[in-house]
Amino acid sequence: MQGTVEIPAKQVATKRPSAELNPPQREIDDQGLLRSGFSVVLQLPTGSGKTWLAEQAIAEVLDQGQRAIYLTPLRALANELLERWSTRFRGHRVGVFTGEFGQSQAYPVPFEQADLLIMTPERLDACTRHWRSHWGWLPRVGLLVVDELHLLGDKGRGPRLEGALLRTRALNPFLRVLGLSATLGNRAELADWLEGVHYHSDWRQVPISWRSERFKRAADKPGILIAEARRCVDEGGQCLVFVQSRRRAEQLSAMLSEAGIPAGHHHAGLESHQRQKLEVEYRSGATRVLVSTGTLEMGLNLPARLVVLYDLQYFDGTDFKPLPVNTVWQRAGRAGRRGLDDRGEVLLIGPAWDREIDRYAEGRFERITSGLADRRALAEQLLAEVSSGLARTRPQLHRRFAQSLAAHQDRLPNIDHVLAEMTESGMVTEVSDDDEKAPRLKATRLGRIAVRQMLAPVTVLSLARAFADEGAPSLKLFDILLACAATEDCEPRIPADFEELEDLGGRLAKQPSSYLARSVGELRQDMGHNGRRLLAILKTALIAREWTRTGCAQTVADEFGCYVFEVRRLAESLERILSAAVAIVTPPKNAEQTTSEETPPAAPLVEGPVLADRVRALAAMVAHGVDEQTVTLTYVSGIGGTLARRLRDAGIEDIEDLAQADSKGVAQVRGVSESRAACWIEEAAQIMTSRSAFSLREFGMSGRSTLSTLDLPVDPYRLRRALDLMVRRQSDAYLVSGGLEPHRVESASVGLRCDCQGFEKGHECKHVLAVRLSQNDAQLRLVVERLSSESSPLDFDLIQLWFDRDKP
Amino acid sequence: MTHSKPPDHINTTRGVIKFPAYFPVTTFGDKYPLDDLVRPYLPRLAPAIMVSLHYARQMKDRPTMPMLIDSGGFASLFDGARVVAQRGFGVLETTHDEKVEVLHPKDVLEFQEQHADLAFTLDFPVPPSMDPEEGKRRVELTIANARWALQNRRRKDLLLYACVQGWDVDSFRACAKAYAGLPFDGLAIGGMVPRVSDFKSVLEIVDAVRAEVPNKPLHVFGLGKPGLVDTLFKRGVQSVDSSSYVKLAADGRLWGQPAVKLGDASPTERLQLALCNLAMATQRALPLSAAHLMFGSRLWESRNQAGLDIATKPGRRTKTATQPLTAPT
Repeated sequence: MQGTVEIPAKQVATKRPSAELNPPQREIDDQGLLRSGFSVVLQLPTGSGKTWLAEQAIAEVLDQGQRAIYLTPLRALANELLERWSTRFRGHRVGVFTGEFGQSQAYPVPFEQADLLIMTPERLDACTRHWRSHWGWLPRVGLLVVDELHLLGDKGRGPRLEGALLRTRALNPFLRVLGLSATLGNRAELADWLEGVHYHSDWRQVPISWRSERFKRAADKPGILIAEARRCVDEGGQCLVFVQSRRRAEQLSAMLSEAGIPAGHHHAGLESHQRQKLEVEYRSGATRVLVSTGTLEMGLNLPARLVVLYDLQYFDGTDFKPLPVNTVWQRAGRAGRRGLDDRGEVLLIGPAWDREIDRYAEGRFERITSGLADRRALAEQLLAEVSSGLARTRPQLHRRFAQSLAAHQDRLPNIDHVLAEMTESGMVTEVSDDDEKAPRLKATRLGRIAVRQMLAPVTVLSLARAFADEGAPSLKLFDILLACAATEDCEPRIPADFEELEDLGGRLAKQPSSYLARSVGELRQDMGHNGRRLLAILKTALIAREWTRTGCAQTVADEFGCYVFEVRRLAESLERILSAAVAIVTPPKNAEQTTSEETPPAAPLVEGPVLADRVRALAAMVAHGVDEQTVTLTYVSGIGGTLARRLRDAGIEDIEDLAQADSKGVAQVRGVSESRAACWIEEAAQIMTSRSAFSLREFGMSGRSTLSTLDLPVDPYRLRRALDLMVRRQSDAYLVSGGLEPHRVESASVGLRCDCQGFEKGHECKHVLAVRLSQNDAQLRLVVERLSSESSPLDFDLIQLWFDRDKP
Repeated sequence: MTHSKPPDHINTTRGVIKFPAYFPVTTFGDKYPLDDLVRPYLPRLAPAIMVSLHYARQMKDRPTMPMLIDSGGFASLFDGARVVAQRGFGVLETTHDEKVEVLHPKDVLEFQEQHADLAFTLDFPVPPSMDPEEGKRRVELTIANARWALQNRRRKDLLLYACVQGWDVDSFRACAKAYAGLPFDGLAIGGMVPRVSDFKSVLEIVDAVRAEVPNKPLHVFGLGKPGLVDTLFKRGVQSVDSSSYVKLAADGRLWGQPAVKLGDASPTERLQLALCNLAMATQRALPLSAAHLMFGSRLWESRNQAGLDIATKPGRRTKTATQPLTAPT
């Protein structure tokens, strides 16, 4: 143990007999480290009983009548802990506070009543931003356990964890932090930042050995994996394989299964019930090999005798980079099942020429550095401080962030510069009431929207700019989705494959859109992205639009080759962004809420109620998975998304249908009484006098084109591409060239058949269209004539974007 | 059986109060928002809280710790206040916006019986400059109110302290003598704040009262400065109360270094200063320090920088001028 504090030994009533404790647990207990009154950073290998130690510390504070918070980065783990701790801490109320609850589903135990609060870092961040609403319980917290403390270094989530820690510690000066991690390169520095002590041990219940297998060609990797997995399984072991992509996890698991090895795959794209099923099967031993992405490196306890790191590189969004030592050790830590294996094995599969691989076994962990070094992340946290009223002047902000890990590590950006940018962009104002006092900082309306919705300031700014643009009144539903998908907070952004560009082009051509009517250069500028990122934004917006049309995540996922879980996450994320969009386009109720000082250059809204109506409707459409007709039902008071969907399924598709329905018929819908139905019908009829059920319907492919794709017998985008192709007759078939690869089209029993992937998926591909054109197909020629008299549905080629150089 | 010495503790329904005790004053309502920040932490630093009747009436959620409720008789010192004799009791009339509010001993006791663990009888302080005749009248009414409260206390677990007032040592002694032998749970000496500049005379009053009532707990209102408190405790006083810890913090100051001011303290910085001040007064250990706030940057104002070695790097802690982790004992 290190640190400078003398800690008195003391017995704890709730502990295991000393003989049952492992050496680090015994040492920590003997030293009374967790009862020292100081914050503690514990660095212990995976599976060495960190959670048990956390339970001890929690039990202590609960026994003292105080409360405890346990931060876990994973929702799935939060639910697992809730189940476990509801029994372990019987007599105390255990609450879980993750994104699953809160808006549509009430928390099982309210904040005020929970003695032990299990939450994600983001939830704690939200609580501290709105600390006045949580003042009834925040001061009663004695202990904050931060599981996976290394998350502080995560670019995305780290700054929110750090901001939450900063504010929680300021609001509750008595709070002790217990940070847990297996991989910290700078635990002493982190403990120093927390004004606490630290403890480290390498002791493992099951020791692990490291080795590597080298390959000369990437094609050799699967063979190496099969041989290793088979050996492990034949010897009665289980094997965890970590790979860098979901597709690879699926492919390898299929390959292993084909080789007769019971295997499954695990990744964040799976539905939670699918993941749970896999976890059960793996724990029971029915599945011997689990191929996983990084989802299993944190939290879930699924140990294996053999851990294989199949990919030692990861894609950081721009390039492939070597996996950090910390990540490798998080994964390697799963090796060795307690009670089953004498030894755990870690196998690294790497290229023969890469000598760097050997350094992994040395376990020199990377330093965890503050994410607040990033100016955008700092801007979000500055805004949160100002908006929450915890820092009201520049000196106060300086002092607050002087307590940050970023400042502790001398990585804090210049606060005045960041503040100047925020003032200039209209997120913050500085008001001088009194010459004697420092000017007061205030979050503007836009700033408050960003804080309330937990969005990056840049997200709210980009939306405000989009809605303040002179073209804003003509933005269509799809354009609004594009603007949202282009923001920093949209996640997941689903990448497009080269093979699907043609399909995407066809789909985009059918979207009424004013953005898509512009040039590719303008689109790049409007979206603030180019290249594959822009393609991903286009695809993501298409997926979201399809979600509003079908309301079925499975259908959308099948159609776009993504995961159901991704569609759901996307809808959740867009719902949040659209809530901010609604707030942006809604004029403040009280004009005094916005002072003259907070008139930002880009914020005032020039759009009329039409855009506001569209944004509001779209928010409801995304939230409930309903289309622009069904959403009109929600105009009636008391009808939300769920009831609108039920009414639609009963044949009442929009407000007009409702206005004309009879109350007995409507009352057949589950949860609707006849009297309630009568009220709705009356209100719907009233609304119909001023609004149409079709007011949100959009026609035309783009802002320029008036030609409806509904009129066309073929996909105009594919047709346009077909015009550029060359067709050569070759005995009984046609050879179509001019694209990336030549394709063969031949006559079939019904029409023509092509050997390309697009045709296989059921589309009439551009190659078939090219052949039909070469045959002087009268119908197609007519369409070509009509299209050429119109502007092009898409004035740019998606392939052009594909070959853009990606720049953030 | 009578004890020759005061007890070393008293029992309330919400907990034991060990002596000597320092009771932090808190308020409810909107006037002092810092009190709302500090109050949840008071159970960690003090055995009970003191609230004046005026603020206690604005309370929405009663704290779970022992609460002492003062009668609010100090308002008799305000402009527009009158002490009126009514059927032998002292009643306080205050005028606000031409409306007259009347505070009767009955109102005070009724509220205290509903909410307090320890109650102080309705008293009327006598400032040093007051006409002795008026002073005499006030003391008589104070005594009458205390006797009335004793006779009319219905809640047996409500501890009742009789308030002692006077204009000089003899009058304080006489007031205390009037309570001798009556079953009050303790005595509380008021009117000391305006006399604190002459601390010697304060101690003489304390001695005089103590001599008359040797076996009851003795409380002194409003004197909470750490140095004075130590002396009072040594002199046989069992408890004191004060709001200075929070007033100083609201002004960005530490008790240990009142000359140094954090000119622009944020709400949580004031909270931290208040807790440090209180810990110093109650001699409790704190898991926090205010050193980095007061001496860790150049962002403070100081009337007297002599003797302080200030860190040159803004925002970083310094090892040359620190506030102790625990309060001195």
